[in-house]
Amino acid sequence: MTAVIEVHNLTKRYKTKNALDNVSLSIEGGAIYGLLGRNGAGKTTLMSILTAQNFESSGTVKVFGEHPYENAPVLSRICFVRESQKYPDDATPRHAFKAASLFFKNWNQEFAEQLIADFQLPMKQTIKKLSRGQLSAVGVIIGLASRAEITFFDEPYLGLDAVARQIFYDRLLDDYAEFPRTIILSSHLIDEVSNLIEHVVVIDDGQILVNEDTDSLRDRAVTVVGDAAAVDAWAGGREVLHSESLGRVRSVTVLGALSADERAEVTASGLDLAPVSLQQLIVRLTQKAGATNSAENQEVR
Amino acid sequence: MSRILNVVRLQLINKQTFIWVPLIVLAGAVVVSVLIYAMIPVDTPKYGGGGQAPLWVFFAVGLSAMTMTFPFSQALSITRRDFFLGTVLSAALASVFMAVIFVIGGFIEQLTDGYGVNGYVFHLPWVWEAGPLGAFVVFFTLALFFFLVGFTGATIYKSWGAVVLTIASLVLVLVLLAIVFMITRLELWGDVWNGILHLGAVGLALWGLVVVAVLAGVSFLAFRRAIP
Repeated sequence: MTAVIEVHNLTKRYKTKNALDNVSLSIEGGAIYGLLGRNGAGKTTLMSILTAQNFESSGTVKVFGEHPYENAPVLSRICFVRESQKYPDDATPRHAFKAASLFFKNWNQEFAEQLIADFQLPMKQTIKKLSRGQLSAVGVIIGLASRAEITFFDEPYLGLDAVARQIFYDRLLDDYAEFPRTIILSSHLIDEVSNLIEHVVVIDDGQILVNEDTDSLRDRAVTVVGDAAAVDAWAGGREVLHSESLGRVRSVTVLGALSADERAEVTASGLDLAPVSLQQLIVRLTQKAGATNSAENQEVR
Repeated sequence: MSRILNVVRLQLINKQTFIWVPLIVLAGAVVVSVLIYAMIPVDTPKYGGGGQAPLWVFFAVGLSAMTMTFPFSQALSITRRDFFLGTVLSAALASVFMAVIFVIGGFIEQLTDGYGVNGYVFHLPWVWEAGPLGAFVVFFTLALFFFLVGFTGATIYKSWGAVVLTIASLVLVLVLLAIVFMITRLELWGDVWNGILHLGAVGLALWGLVVVAVLAGVSFLAFRRAIP
């Protein structure tokens, strides 16, 4: 199967910095992807360029094998509602959904109506008078009900309360199971979406840091907890991502998967294995990349 | 083509913007004009510029088509070309509608002798010289022109910022000033007025349509690289 999204050496230059710096990325499709990274890491810029809302400074961009700019056949299979999406003046949610139904061929009005009820979205108020959470709900409903082959969600949970967030995650999973497609979920709240996403793309400071299956990413590191001296001895020579101490107890997260034998060895030596949370792992990988970058920069100076 | 027509439907989903607001503004302007005409104690026909009020609404509609509706159209995965053509087509349809209202208004004024107070908002003699069809062309061109000025201005503003928009407006004003200066210097005003009178309102409007077409071209070139 060919990738639905292929990006080579993509750079987006702004006056003062590169929002995207020589990014190469291939997305197979048919899964829920997490596009994770800090605020300002380049998530929205990347999605904007993939949907031809913004333009690359250099590099090649291919979606369904073609460049998306002014490409109606490609664009009609994509949906990207921005986090700060604007709507026509005086438009109500009803108007917005009516418009969306004109342009997305897989649009499902029944599903939209169900979501409207779920989110208790007021339909007769103008969108500019909605709360932040209700505004997010409008975008979420367009994204879900469009059933586009590639759907981007840009921080979709902003302002949604806990109940509404859970509704979104549940509906997304249910509908995705029934109508498989490519979902790309951008988020800086990694724990929120970590149970949803099958594949992780981490972007940091305009560069792709991680692009792999969630499961294999979790296997990339292991946390060992126990007596400080024993932990240090065990961790010696391994690449330590993070280390934390409380009294005599130390917890060390190291890069690298452990074999069954190694796991048994760890337990036998009186140490405990603790699960690595996706959030912790990514935060630490990001911090590590940041540290390496600044070290390099200092050397250059 | 169906995508372009869908953009027209998108623009007209909320009829308030393109239809009702200009109509309400126009109705308001007519009422105010008639009230003022009624207070002026002269017997000769009274003419006023109240009819231009909805044109400014078209300017604002053009502006918001770019700043608000365009970003939304991007969320609906519409190409810039389809959005532009559909939007200009919507504006043309709304301009036709507005021009028809103007012509009907003109007929009403003729039938009622200027609302019984000999005051005219729509039936301006120079504009109606070539009959109702001529008046229609004049009103249509003006409405579309105002829409495109708003849309183009907003496009330039969004693409290159306030400074470039200001400079572009300034350059335009300087060019117009230069033309005025040349005409004055060469003492050609007589010829110019003769030419305008000779062209008539319709002739001018037809030239106006050429200006509208050029403006649309410039607008599209700027719009092609616009970012929501």
